[in-house]
Amino acid sequence: MPEEIELKTHTIKDFLDGVRNGKLLGYRCRNCGYQQVTPMVFCPKCQSGDIESVELKPTGKIISFTIIHVPPESHINDAPYAWVIVELDDGPRVSGWIQFISRPEQIKIGARVRYRRSYLPGMIFELVKEEDKP
Amino acid sequence: MRKVVVLSGGIGPRWGRWEKLTGREGAALAAKEAIERAGIEPRQIQAIFVGNALAEAEKQGHIGPIIATELGIPEVPTMRIETACASGSSAFREAFVNVAAGIYDVVLVVGVEKVTHIDVITATTYFAYGMDQVYEARNGASFPGVYAAMAVAHMNKYGTTEEQMALVSVKNHTNALYNPKAHFHKKITVEDVLKSRVIAWPLKLYDCSPFSDGAAAVIVTTEEFARKYTDNLVYVIGSGRAGVQMALPERDDLTSIKATTLAAREAYRMAGIEPKDVDFAEVHDCFTIAEIIATEDLGFFKKGEGGKAVEEGLTQIDGKIAINPSGGLKAKGHPVGATGVGQVVEVWEQFNGLAGKRTVPGAEIALTHNVGATGGTVNVHIFRRG
Repeated sequence: MPEEIELKTHTIKDFLDGVRNGKLLGYRCRNCGYQQVTPMVFCPKCQSGDIESVELKPTGKIISFTIIHVPPESHINDAPYAWVIVELDDGPRVSGWIQFISRPEQIKIGARVRYRRSYLPGMIFELVKEEDKP
Repeated sequence: MRKVVVLSGGIGPRWGRWEKLTGREGAALAAKEAIERAGIEPRQIQAIFVGNALAEAEKQGHIGPIIATELGIPEVPTMRIETACASGSSAFREAFVNVAAGIYDVVLVVGVEKVTHIDVITATTYFAYGMDQVYEARNGASFPGVYAAMAVAHMNKYGTTEEQMALVSVKNHTNALYNPKAHFHKKITVEDVLKSRVIAWPLKLYDCSPFSDGAAAVIVTTEEFARKYTDNLVYVIGSGRAGVQMALPERDDLTSIKATTLAAREAYRMAGIEPKDVDFAEVHDCFTIAEIIATEDLGFFKKGEGGKAVEEGLTQIDGKIAINPSGGLKAKGHPVGATGVGQVVEVWEQFNGLAGKRTVPGAEIALTHNVGATGGTVNVHIFRRG
């Protein structure tokens, strides 16, 4: 018998299913509006326990990055690639990775990115060309 | 609260790559050295706290009773404590708290790690267990990678350079030349660092601390008990702990580890001192950028000036404040669970005239700073020579 879950919000399993389908789920405090992507049952800003799920827009900009040459097991066939920290246009900050980046000249802080669906592990972003800007 | 003293410390087998020893044997040998240096008998120990992060790499859990048994005191209660790379200092903190509170009078703290028998990719994966698996590691973050992202943010905001980071490595390698227990005894140049292979840009191999095998042990006790064995007391005058969001991306500032700032504030307040009173510090330089950030967050230098301080030689043994006279994680080595205990051993050796050519002249007050992963756990301790 599956466990009974009295959860108004999505599970991590739901989040990972979303990742595979290019959908980005986050949590939102219904009291103060604070949003984040990692699970919360109380809000770190106002301590409210009234939390709901939200779907976040897939666009944002790079806050910082690195270019991984020695990867963890999960990405063994993908290096080098960029691991990026992204501030989503909706506010929350998330991490993800961008394929085929091997030199720092190919990427910069402030660059626009878009989250996309993928069969590869983790959250994949791609650089958005200037003309694609919203 | 009772006054707490570090009665002795020992490293046991030299840190590095152990071909013959297992973790439990290294731990027992470090503990033996600490016990013999204290001049006590094992049966005087009332509790053992073990700092260890990755015992499962040897397919062994529950290592506390194993160590107690090897020490001939199997009935003594033990506990293994895991807070990633801060496991050792978390174990030390528990000893401090228990002695200060009057629960125990004599506590042994042991830190140990045995990891070099596993391959680099597996080790990288194990180390990444200290991060948020779903929201960081799964997205391709390696452990050097998260610190590299902090480095890029620091370079972008403050103009910190790859050369400044390299100088941290050069300094710590120089200090380690005089530490017989250090993993590396190898003088390196800035060029060696800059030309070493990229692990996670901008961090190169020589910006990274190594995977080390190693152990460390200290005896923590009361002033009254310690006086029976020595006149040269090393007091623990401050202890602070703090955390911060586990996942690096969700923090407001990537150029600082807030948990360090908070833990340091608590430790400074308890000790009744300010950063300028500290004569030397053993800080958590798992990567070169981590030392630069730590020296800022601990209040030794203004935010953004940590890189410049290294360039000006302010953090050398003869500088304004000696940082990592032991060689630090970078060159003394980083046997995860042993690292934080090893920092305390360095303080004890410095204050007992056992530090040889790496001695910080006239030092009276020392600080240790140990970080779990990117700061989900930070422990800061302050010591005074009695």
